[in-house]
Amino acid sequence: MISQFREWEENRHTYAKSWKEKTGGKVIGYFCTYVPEEILYAADILPVRILGSHEPQDVTEPHIFGMFCPFCRDCLAQGLKGRYDYLDGVMISQSCLHIRQAYTSWVKHIPQSFSYYLPMPNNIQSKHAVPYLTAELKQFKTAVEKWIGREITNDDLKKGIDIMNENRSLMHKLYSFRKNEAPPVSGEEAMQVAMSQQMVDKREHTPLLKSLVTQFEGGAVNSVNKGIRLMILGSEDDDIPFIRMVESVGGTVVIDDHCVGTRYFWNNVNANGGDLIESIAKRYIERPACPSKDWIERNRIPHLLNLAKDFGAKGAIVIQQKFCDPHELDIPAIIKKFNENDIKTLFLEFDVTVPIGQFKIRVEAFLEMLQEEDLF
Amino acid sequence: MAQEFWRWKEYNWKNENIDWKGGSIISSGVDVGSVSSQAVILVDGELYAYASMRTGSDSPLSAVNAMNWALDGSGMKLENINYVVGTGYGRVNVPFANKTITEIACHARGANLMYGGSVRTILDMGGQDCKAIRCDEKGKVANFLMNDKCAAGTGRGMEVFADLLSVPIEEIGGLSFDVAEEPEPVSSTCVVFAKTEATGLLREGWPKNKVIAAYCSAMAHRVVTLLDRIGVEKDFAITGGIAKNIGVVNRLQKELGVETLKSKYDSQIAGALGAALFAKALVEKERK
Repeated sequence: MISQFREWEENRHTYAKSWKEKTGGKVIGYFCTYVPEEILYAADILPVRILGSHEPQDVTEPHIFGMFCPFCRDCLAQGLKGRYDYLDGVMISQSCLHIRQAYTSWVKHIPQSFSYYLPMPNNIQSKHAVPYLTAELKQFKTAVEKWIGREITNDDLKKGIDIMNENRSLMHKLYSFRKNEAPPVSGEEAMQVAMSQQMVDKREHTPLLKSLVTQFEGGAVNSVNKGIRLMILGSEDDDIPFIRMVESVGGTVVIDDHCVGTRYFWNNVNANGGDLIESIAKRYIERPACPSKDWIERNRIPHLLNLAKDFGAKGAIVIQQKFCDPHELDIPAIIKKFNENDIKTLFLEFDVTVPIGQFKIRVEAFLEMLQEEDLF
Repeated sequence: MAQEFWRWKEYNWKNENIDWKGGSIISSGVDVGSVSSQAVILVDGELYAYASMRTGSDSPLSAVNAMNWALDGSGMKLENINYVVGTGYGRVNVPFANKTITEIACHARGANLMYGGSVRTILDMGGQDCKAIRCDEKGKVANFLMNDKCAAGTGRGMEVFADLLSVPIEEIGGLSFDVAEEPEPVSSTCVVFAKTEATGLLREGWPKNKVIAAYCSAMAHRVVTLLDRIGVEKDFAITGGIAKNIGVVNRLQKELGVETLKSKYDSQIAGALGAALFAKALVEKERK
């Protein structure tokens, strides 16, 4: 039931190249999920997220500081190795300096016909955030219009919003089945669906996702998942072998807070009247925040706790990409709050490749801690 | 052949006062660690026999050897043992294990018997890693942390220093106090760099004992940072091979300001002992 999603995720570049050949359209690579894909879909451009490959590499040393996160280096390595050579453009929306460095080096060293830095505000709690982002999105729209040589109309924007909203709503529905006592998909399978969501034309992804959701509504299951219920949260994480390992030793990942995951699709654009660009801006200001933007008030924590409780997580694996400062700052407060609410936590630091053996013992010991089995 | 100063003594032990044939539950734990392997046999929860040996390149063989040595001379055979729990890095390589449980859970369980139910914090200083474990009055793990960057502060690091300084490993702890004044610790982030630094100090004319003191101090300091992250609640106990090294333990106590509990049991068998206690509980559960 999920083999096509897996195929898309594993062969992301082949997919994008064939999409280009088939449609003759432009493909843009983006570095952060604060990029407003609605406007790109309105312009008939395919947005694909730039992600790493989890392979050791030796090409980014001259470009990125050693104490910048492994994810940003892994992303840039993909560009320097030519794996995204089919891209017509690249863009980023401001989140953190590390990923921005990957974008800056990419633009400097890899030729492309279009690049755009979108100054997404970090102080999203300011009353100026929505008007500021609205104005920035208008400028961005103009830049895209110039690039594609045509106007993006209100109807185009409505189309872009509909494409994104429908896909996000279906992901929401898919995730809701993970609240079941035995979720019909494993954490690994859910991650594959979520990853493919960021690589595939939503108009191809949505029908398949709809069919999956319909099958689950009818009681079908893709896999039986009765392990100890876990949440996984933290920095960017698309480490499928890690989730597979966790689920092979008795865990079931039922919910996440990752930008490949709920942070990406949790809320929709509310386009009931008013300026459509402003509605899009509101959606990005109000979405579950990346910790780089979650201040002065720390609003993520009640949201994370609600997710954990709604999905019945007994424990949470809190991961941080090495040197990921925004998450590092948030994690102690998250762990404290979770522990106060009887949700135990395991903290792990991720690199480009994770030491599966060393992590396995920690995960197994964590699951033993969560087990009720009375051997004492 | 040159003397191998790192080589610690392998040993086995048997409780001659127990007649295993009269026992109802014979349970065993086998802890195949990265450096040493232990097998423990309990008769109705009482310690009957154990053996501790160096882990070879073949983990299943190390488990078999440790078990055979623990059984040696007892008349007991493997088939007389009701249940075996495998633990340690090689836990999946114990060919005759009925179940595997992590060494983190096993050390907490073992320490609970060895040091009593008042133990709340355990530091397991093993061959290639360190674990700080918090547990409840039953020995159930409440929280834990492991070192994850390097092997400094572990038994393997101490073996490297024993060889470098040509001092038998069992003598290191005592000699580390035979110094005029306590030196600054050596670099504590990497065994290899620490060794490089120690070589430099020897060239500068430092006596061996002073270098040993500097390394013991570095090792103690390193594990204190691990313990600080998890918080030390009394009572506090140390398990694993390094618990036998007073050069590290005394400095650790001083830096923490907390005394460690003493036990009549061998600190190195904590993991296998915990595994054997779990094995007993699993037999009782099956028989219910």
